[in-house]
Amino acid sequence: MSNHEHQDSKHQPVQRKEMSRRQFLSYTLGGTTAFMVGGTVLPMVRFAVDPLLAKGGESTLVKVIEESKVTAEPQEVKFKVRQVDGWYKSETEKVAWISRDASGAIFALSPVCKHLGCTVFWNTHGRNEYDCPCHDARYSRDGKNITVANLPLDEYVVEIQDGFVYLGGIIANTRA
Amino acid sequence: MFKKVYNWIDERLDITPLWRDVADHEVPEHVNPAHHFSAFVYCFGGLTFFITVIQILSGMFLTMYYVPDIIHAYASVDYLQHQIPFGKIVRGMHHFGASLVIVMMFLHTLRVFFTGSYKAPREMNWVVGMLIFFIMLGLGFTGYLLPWDNKAYYATKVGVEIAASVPYIGEYIASFLYGGDIVGAQTLTRFFAIHVFFLPGALIAMLAAHFIMIRRQGISGPL
Amino acid sequence: MAHGHKSDEKIVYVGDSRVKKSGRRDSTPPDYTSFPGKSEAFIPNFLLKEWMVGCVVLVGFLVWVMAEAAPLGYPADPTNASFIPMPDWYFLFLYQFLKYPYVSQDYILLGTLGIPGIMFGALMLAPFLDTGKERRFYRRPIASSLMFLSIAAVVYLTVVSWDHYQHQLEEKGIVPEHHERADKVREALERGEERPSFLKTAEAPAIIEPEDPIFASVVEAQCIACHAADLNGAGGPSLLGIGNRMTTEEIADIIIHGKNNGSMPAFEGTLSTDEINQLAEWLSKQTQS
Repeated sequence: MSNHEHQDSKHQPVQRKEMSRRQFLSYTLGGTTAFMVGGTVLPMVRFAVDPLLAKGGESTLVKVIEESKVTAEPQEVKFKVRQVDGWYKSETEKVAWISRDASGAIFALSPVCKHLGCTVFWNTHGRNEYDCPCHDARYSRDGKNITVANLPLDEYVVEIQDGFVYLGGIIANTRA
Repeated sequence: MFKKVYNWIDERLDITPLWRDVADHEVPEHVNPAHHFSAFVYCFGGLTFFITVIQILSGMFLTMYYVPDIIHAYASVDYLQHQIPFGKIVRGMHHFGASLVIVMMFLHTLRVFFTGSYKAPREMNWVVGMLIFFIMLGLGFTGYLLPWDNKAYYATKVGVEIAASVPYIGEYIASFLYGGDIVGAQTLTRFFAIHVFFLPGALIAMLAAHFIMIRRQGISGPL
Repeated sequence: MAHGHKSDEKIVYVGDSRVKKSGRRDSTPPDYTSFPGKSEAFIPNFLLKEWMVGCVVLVGFLVWVMAEAAPLGYPADPTNASFIPMPDWYFLFLYQFLKYPYVSQDYILLGTLGIPGIMFGALMLAPFLDTGKERRFYRRPIASSLMFLSIAAVVYLTVVSWDHYQHQLEEKGIVPEHHERADKVREALERGEERPSFLKTAEAPAIIEPEDPIFASVVEAQCIACHAADLNGAGGPSLLGIGNRMTTEEIADIIIHGKNNGSMPAFEGTLSTDEINQLAEWLSKQTQS
């Protein structure tokens, strides 16, 4: 469109590569279309993708069990968390498998299988392992993946106050 | 690359004439606002369509958050409007757009009426246009029950009572619309279904007929 | 495949169903030749002009949408008697029309079905009623004047209806719900509270200590007419959770002196001081978590 070769223009007729009127109109129409589509659709897209941009909610610690009751044998504890899901506020029940390791430290595993999200259970087949009912994934006492799954079971944040165990949010397994 | 794909498809489906027909048809001078400013009255039809497209899009996006249920409908509308960024704009587009569609459609109808464009051979297109008008009013009526606030409740009640006054079949119409005897859970799901599936389906079919007829018959000549 | 064709021949479709390029109907649009003049192609020339208008409308629309929030009232409540129901503006003319004599009471059918049916029917069948060749509106006096008359009537009915509504609001001192609601939300947020939901929750809050003798002796006799048997409000506001909002003294003061120009009557005299004190005491226990 613009011609940068001023110095040569005296000597020879400029070979301008001009746009045709039709092309110009087509580009303008394209731009207008983009403006109209953008003006209407962008707010809607931002509206729709909000869950992607929302920050994860902070999880509060919930009192679940007396410290003295936790043994080396994993036991299932259920606890309730207040869950805000959009406009729906509810109390949902969560499950943790809680036990002590060799050094006596308490840890809690989330029973959500890392393979495809079924719920694992301790010692279904008498092998002292966590077994997943769906695709026979197995995890050790520490939650380490033995077969099928490619990652160890997640852990809950554990805190101990005044002789009680408190569980918080989910973190990646630190033991396996 | 694009050209190759296009040619490949075109060879099989012969699509070029389809869009060429739309793109290249000549538009006469008397409807072109660049030639006569007064020709802007011919834009109302196109603007109605544009706003309708906005309505369809914003409606689709609203259903990502909305639930047609008497317990959650109100909370979900409140949530999507006030807690989600741009919720105010998206719901606003849908709410105010409804009014704007009616305005544009009204102006378009008046233009067609006063230019006598509905006369032979375009009678059928006028009738289809009126059907679109009624579908739009139906969309407006079914739409405002959905937020489940007081206005929604009472407006629906009054509207259905009007339908119920029809002799012989009125009661059946009313219980069909209510899905029972009261404005309640079943009314809301019904209105939702009508609002997002039945009427838009009919609307799209009618719009297609409207546009095909315009292409077949051309724009009415200058006065 | 072996239907007598040579194997090296290119594929032959049996009953070739591909779309033929030739023999298409002549698609020259009828409006191209009929109106000589400065006609132009739809894309890009004409559409660009139309979309300039579209852009102006879009910008105006977006500004409108950003400036004004779509109204949302309180949750639907069939027992709410203070709400003045109004349809959207484009139904107002019908709404107003139904208030007039001869289209209401015994003639309601005429109003709901008869006249609107005739009007909309005539509009729909306009091309078959107005069959003359003439297109200019001033050469079709009957059709045009009927249309002008209808428009004037619709505008008149709409304006009257809206005007009446505004007067009603003023008379009863009602702020339209969606404004009131928006104000309440804003105030609550300014006070740093949680955003109010206005929903009467599914697990309806219960009356606390309904076995208290004051409940049977005074509350059931005096209060529930306005505040409902479950105290969740009807004509008067909900008393559930009033203990969160007011102190015992404030409650007692309202019972004694009334509120809102007698909407809440003054019970001084009707009830003994002792009863008022007990009642206020009991009401202040109506707290909610």
